[in-house]
Amino acid sequence: MSKTAKKEGGLVLDAAVYSGEALRLAAFVFSDKAEITLKQGKGVFEVYFEGAGPEFSPGDYLNEALNQQCRLDLAGKNSKAAGMIATRALLSAAGNAGKKA
Amino acid sequence: MALKKAAKKTSAAAVPPQLLWKRDGADFLVTNDFGHYSWLKKKDFDSLLACKVGESHPLFAALSAKGFVRDRLDFDGLAAKWRKKNAYLNTGPGLHILVLTLRCNHKCLYCQAAAGGAAAKDTDMTPATARKCVDFAFNSSNPGITIEFQGGEPLLNWPALTAAVKHARARAKTAGKELKLALVSNFSLMTEEKARFLMENEVSVCTSLDGPADLHNKNRCFSGGNSHAVTLKWLKYFQKKNEAQADGYRVFKPSALLTVSRYSLSRHKEIIDEYVAAGLEDIFIRPLAPIGYARNLWGSIGYEAKDFAAFYLKSLAYILKLNRSGVVIREKMAAMMLDKIVNSRDPGYLDARCPCGAAIGQIAYNYNGDLYTCDEGRMVGWEGDDVFKVGSVFKDSYAKVMASAPTRACVVSSNLEAQPDCARCVYKPYCGVCPVYNYEVQGSLWGDMSSSDRCGLFKGIFGALFALLKKPGNEATLKKWVDK
Repeated sequence: MSKTAKKEGGLVLDAAVYSGEALRLAAFVFSDKAEITLKQGKGVFEVYFEGAGPEFSPGDYLNEALNQQCRLDLAGKNSKAAGMIATRALLSAAGNAGKKA
Repeated sequence: MALKKAAKKTSAAAVPPQLLWKRDGADFLVTNDFGHYSWLKKKDFDSLLACKVGESHPLFAALSAKGFVRDRLDFDGLAAKWRKKNAYLNTGPGLHILVLTLRCNHKCLYCQAAAGGAAAKDTDMTPATARKCVDFAFNSSNPGITIEFQGGEPLLNWPALTAAVKHARARAKTAGKELKLALVSNFSLMTEEKARFLMENEVSVCTSLDGPADLHNKNRCFSGGNSHAVTLKWLKYFQKKNEAQADGYRVFKPSALLTVSRYSLSRHKEIIDEYVAAGLEDIFIRPLAPIGYARNLWGSIGYEAKDFAAFYLKSLAYILKLNRSGVVIREKMAAMMLDKIVNSRDPGYLDARCPCGAAIGQIAYNYNGDLYTCDEGRMVGWEGDDVFKVGSVFKDSYAKVMASAPTRACVVSSNLEAQPDCARCVYKPYCGVCPVYNYEVQGSLWGDMSSSDRCGLFKGIFGALFALLKKPGNEATLKKWVDK
């Protein structure tokens, strides 16, 4: 069971669910809407929002954090297939497909 | 043929091969990466999941031929099908969009390009830059290239257009590449002399037609006269020339694009009738995208994905009704998706590729020689954010552009294998995401498909197409759209 709790001015997120990388990537997405800072505690991340305008919602940040975490988890599973497709596409476009590196 | 033999008895511990699925009422749509699809009843779907589709099962032959039965995978055949469907992975950018000027004499409500006024010539491409852009396009690793002239209104910069056309035709003679030239114009500045030059140089022409006069002119404001009348006049002119043809060169059939604004949503029949009356056999029903200048006007002309999907469904139904009465017309986006679904062919629709066509499938050349991943990326640049700029024809080599950070970022972020939701979506074999859209609407190249209107829109279109394919009468008609 994941832990997501409100803390004054921020949220407490379960580190077993969210990685620091996912939380930082999600923070970047909202970098023009709020100043987001992360603090790592024991088994949790504390996320604080400052200077947020009315168009920013912490819930949107949480959705994006989950999206980024799913993406990272998927990358761990599919990275081989994804890497082959991306490499093929880039090498072919560059005119180097089939050539030895 | 490398064929995995059927086991006498399927192991209960076995799992089915890669399978994507979606429940639709009582039935299940299943697809796989090879591009095969099948509609299954629940009991058959359950059997497939449990690996109980053995040789005695009535669907065994059909499902095993499509790569859905683990014990009967024709590896060579399936691999060939995958290669054919993804043939674009072996070629470089085929579409080269030259933005000859940002000037335009129209003020279209939905214009994404924030076009400049007709007098502001500081955003014109010079003939020298146009030739440099053509040279850059010929560096592409793709054996066939299309150079498309856009704007603004490209006919406002006739010197650059003629310079690029002549140079491209000359280069094609020695480059060993197949060359196609295309012009996207509102036709308001077309003359007999210009039309003759375009036809003699085998430049195909495409324009915008938004429907009946009142709707077209409301969307496409033209202070110099009646935009609709001018459009129809030149459409008919090029159609007549196409029918008559000429000695020494091919005259292509003109085509038109429809952009759906909020004002179009209640008028699908009138719009399609207008296309039929204009002698057009294709209608490309394109949604608005909140990118560039259009983003600022979204509140007045935009709509939700579900509104467009409803419009699109009504339009498709009406087109099929017309087809049944003998009228020849097809919807272009549906035709391109059907080409993937039915023929496992890449129709060249760069927005629905995996990875998307940004830089590796197309390049947009701005008036000053700056290069962008695509025209949408250029529009983001025009708003002051050059995140999709991949180089300049004056400073950067082709290889450097293909290896640039924006190129790589767009390839990686539009790879459906790495996109949550997409990786498991039943429409993955036929779909694609757009990093520019994601960036503009959701703030990251990756986006979040579960809340993306573009994703909702594509799902609506695919849902409609598969539902139509399920009915034998429609299936036959739709397959005719892509049987060439």
